[in-house]
Amino acid sequence: MKFGIFHELSVGKPWHPLSEHEVYHNALEQVEVADELGFDQSWAVEHHFLEEYSHCSAPEVFLAAAAARTKRIHLCHGVMMVLPPFNHPARCAERAAALDIVSGGRLEFGTGRSATWTELGGFRCDPDVSKEMWDEAVHAIPKMWTQETFSWDGKYFSMPERPILPKPVQKPHPPIWVAVSSPETAIQAAERGIGCLGVSIGTPEEYQKRVQDYRRIVRSAEPVGDFVNEQVNGVTFMYVDETDEEAKTWGTKLAYTFSYLAAHLVGISSVYPTAAYKTPGLLFAIRRSTEEKAPGGGGAVRDGMAIGSPDTVIKQLKLWEEIGVDRMVFIINTAEVIPQERVLKSLRLFAEQVLPAFDVDAQASREAPKARDLSEAPMPV
Amino acid sequence: MPDYGRLTQQRLPHTQPAVDPLYPAPPWALPGARVLKLIYETDAEPLLTWLPPKLSRSSPPYAVVVVAHYHKSPIGPFSLATQGIGCRAGFFIRALSVQAITDSPVAMAALRETWGYPCKLGEVMLEQGDDGVSASIRSSDRPLASLSLQEPEPIDGESVRFDPVLNIRSVPSLDEGKAHELLHMVQIDPEITIKESVRGRGDAELLASDGKSGWNALPVRGIVSAVYALIDTELPLARFVVPY
Repeated sequence: MKFGIFHELSVGKPWHPLSEHEVYHNALEQVEVADELGFDQSWAVEHHFLEEYSHCSAPEVFLAAAAARTKRIHLCHGVMMVLPPFNHPARCAERAAALDIVSGGRLEFGTGRSATWTELGGFRCDPDVSKEMWDEAVHAIPKMWTQETFSWDGKYFSMPERPILPKPVQKPHPPIWVAVSSPETAIQAAERGIGCLGVSIGTPEEYQKRVQDYRRIVRSAEPVGDFVNEQVNGVTFMYVDETDEEAKTWGTKLAYTFSYLAAHLVGISSVYPTAAYKTPGLLFAIRRSTEEKAPGGGGAVRDGMAIGSPDTVIKQLKLWEEIGVDRMVFIINTAEVIPQERVLKSLRLFAEQVLPAFDVDAQASREAPKARDLSEAPMPV
Repeated sequence: MPDYGRLTQQRLPHTQPAVDPLYPAPPWALPGARVLKLIYETDAEPLLTWLPPKLSRSSPPYAVVVVAHYHKSPIGPFSLATQGIGCRAGFFIRALSVQAITDSPVAMAALRETWGYPCKLGEVMLEQGDDGVSASIRSSDRPLASLSLQEPEPIDGESVRFDPVLNIRSVPSLDEGKAHELLHMVQIDPEITIKESVRGRGDAELLASDGKSGWNALPVRGIVSAVYALIDTELPLARFVVPY
């Protein structure tokens, strides 16, 4: 099992002129430290208009800055909004390829369609067809990376023949993922041969069926790209400290605050009746995970959350390993409710005492080998 | 020692409205109700002036107008139109009632006294035609709002959501110079069975205010959704009553 960190870049009110600056630069320092400590991935979301919850609307800029500060860690879009009203698919392909180049082939390309009215309504994007838009884009983008020239005449975008430049360093192209917050999307990920980036912050027990379905169906995938990226990621909160008690104090504050900010977004299913969003999605799952309040105003620590002493966190992460999750990605702070020095201390404790309990190389043979062929690519200095 | 009385809360006099109201006690079964629900984006600033300190706004801010005709109830047929703020009580999605008009004096009394709706008497019209649904809301002397759903298309009832309603209950002060006493917020959380539902293109025109407040105090900045449904529902006992 491998591990990564996940940034929403939440900026809590009251804001001051340097609030966003502080959040961005704390996060960049976290990525730098995570890289030094042996974490495998750094994920950044793309969200728009989500005040407080996420000010990460230009993740390609954040990830490029992270690339310049790091040597090894994968830089991951988690996810890029590939719907044409948000981003023209050609721009998605171009930006991703450029990031792959500047990072020396460390890009992983997560895709998504948004689950909030806040965003879809903001771009006047019809929620009824967002899944179809995503599907069209996710079929087109790999061709943009691999074909010398590209043209498209689809339902949601079209363009005449053009060379889409630059091309990614990874050949044939970077690994592709999709954000999964429903059982249907896990199946669709498998059918398309792309990675399952679970974002619903559920328990391992809740996630198990999704992993089983994904593994079964991915065997007969018709990949949208040039290879099958058979991988399953899970996302949860992480805060490690010397004792369970101390870790819980800060970790539940993290989980509670994150969930509280999420609750103020407007999910599609809460205001717009459509068959295209059958489950309440991420927001409902997050809310449910913290409904039980622990003493002190924090959320409860549920199964699978990496909150506790190193021994406790190892036990929790083994639960994910047992159900077949390849990689766990951690939300390590939100709205700076945990002081930066504590976040960095938690990362270091994790690296020193939790990481050795997992065989981080065990998945290497399965991890998108075709996408890591950089034998002819010059690495950045 | 004098003899003191022995009246307990459980044996309040029959003249007290809580014990012997002029209308049936809840829950009220409301089968076969027709409901038009319209959600629209609105402005944050006026919305915040209507929200109690324990509630918070969503992002973006939105309001909900529900126009319902209950053809069968314990007090006979009546209609009710409400305007609410889509808000958050902690982690939870709620609709705080800020306006309510009903066409039945008995319903008005019951809705105000039992459930805390800010009800006034007026006219509520809800009509379904081949090409959509229209509704109009009037106070005793002027139009307040008109709404419509056009180009209806069937939608699975499981996709249609009705959020729990919060109403603020207060008692008028009889002490000179003393403010009215805020009692609590009542959460109305009815069981709803959706039997048929359509969605469509919504439109809303909120008209002049009636002084201190008005339906247009929360202006329409963009329609989010419009739904018309045939439902079985109820006016239940409050699921939660929380301090203001």
